[in-house]
Amino acid sequence: MENNYHFSEESINSSISFRSLVNATSYPGRHFQITKLKKPNILSNAAATILITLCDNESNVYLSKDFSTDEVKDWLIFNTGAIVSDKQNADFAVGDWESLLPLDEFKTGVPEYPERSATLIIEESNYKKIKCNINGPGIKDKLQIELPNPELFINNSHLYPLGLDFYFTNDLDILSIPRSTKISVTNSEY
Amino acid sequence: MNDMSKDKNIDIQIYNFAYLDENTKRMIRRALLKALCIPGYQVPFSSREMPMPYGWGTGGIQVTSACLIPKDVLKVIDQGADDTTNAVSIRKFFQKTANVAVTEKTSDASLIQTRHRIPETKLKEQQILVYQVPIPEPLRFLEPRETETRKMHALSEYGLMFVKLYEDIAKHGHIETAYAYPVKTNGNYVTDPSPIPKFDNPKMNNNPAIQLFGAGREQRIYAIPPYTNVKSLDFEDYPFEAMKANFKCSICGSSDSYLDEIIVSDDGKRSYICSDTDYCKEQTQLNSKEEDQ
Repeated sequence: MENNYHFSEESINSSISFRSLVNATSYPGRHFQITKLKKPNILSNAAATILITLCDNESNVYLSKDFSTDEVKDWLIFNTGAIVSDKQNADFAVGDWESLLPLDEFKTGVPEYPERSATLIIEESNYKKIKCNINGPGIKDKLQIELPNPELFINNSHLYPLGLDFYFTNDLDILSIPRSTKISVTNSEY
Repeated sequence: MNDMSKDKNIDIQIYNFAYLDENTKRMIRRALLKALCIPGYQVPFSSREMPMPYGWGTGGIQVTSACLIPKDVLKVIDQGADDTTNAVSIRKFFQKTANVAVTEKTSDASLIQTRHRIPETKLKEQQILVYQVPIPEPLRFLEPRETETRKMHALSEYGLMFVKLYEDIAKHGHIETAYAYPVKTNGNYVTDPSPIPKFDNPKMNNNPAIQLFGAGREQRIYAIPPYTNVKSLDFEDYPFEAMKANFKCSICGSSDSYLDEIIVSDDGKRSYICSDTDYCKEQTQLNSKEEDQ
């Protein structure tokens, strides 16, 4: 957000951001770029962009411990009107990997309405990464990526069509692992 | 002539970019992303009234509006043609409200809104194909209650659909459904492909482009992500067959594109032409190049 930020620009910036999100969600495991915006320091540009593009006064947002600051809350509420909520009711959750665990407290949808599930935005941190093969919708043949605790993603994909959807964010970079992605661990040591 | 109307910037200031307001777009965008995460599942959304009647693509233009970016090159087709009323109106609508570039060439377009066809030219990665959908629920004519169809999808209970296809075979010797032929997306949800001819069904399978579906009156959004398995329902002994009129286009001579039948004289003489006008144009140009050589 620049000083000259006004309505038509908000509209254009949000459309460009959303397009990156569409691409990221459509092609899981690939990196897509998002543009810079003015936001609290602790949030990455990518995480802030997801929140500001998608959230409104119907969205429950869970901020995990380090991210649950007054600065983040004020910024989020002022820009989107979103409701800061607990884990169980969250539509969106932001945090580093460790602080979002355990995952089973988040809602995964119900059989009649599988979309009533949480979207997790995982900020880059020093978690242990393990090489995985992924395939499924949006992936031509297969891809190799690194994930923390792959067993949790494997469990999540077993819930399909219920489950959680993930975005990994790092500065301007965004990568998605939706529930439809199938994960297998390549490293036999694991 | 009002001078102000010549200035495109003024149109843009009257409307929010691509017509819809930001709050509506947020709601549609959340639905679209969940739709991409759950291929073939119909996500309910609170469809807005658009400046056109239901049945003219109100769902499609809401999806397009939520996805459009300023540098998009937009193509709009109706039954494969770029120059029919519906296509022309929607194209003009987005020229006016989003000031985006437009094209008739499938390969140049970054976003294509379509009614009842998939272009013959192969789509590429990151191209978006937006379908206008009249009845998103493939089970609706078999079971009118939404509460029931929702349960059927939740339980993957699609016996009724197979009975319908079986009854076709018992009565007619083959499956009668020639358009809106149901598909199974990612091995899970039975999905309505919108009223495209079943000739187009195989193009949905493993397509590198992003396929989004909008049903305005019925308030549903669904999606088929790229490289997704899309299988037309069939039986082992009655396999699915893509079908078209067994003629050549009388303009470009193509025998592998989908054809429209037209009556050309008072005594009912028929002729066949490509339904995809861009493809037909391209083939005609290729033919004339070959003749020149």
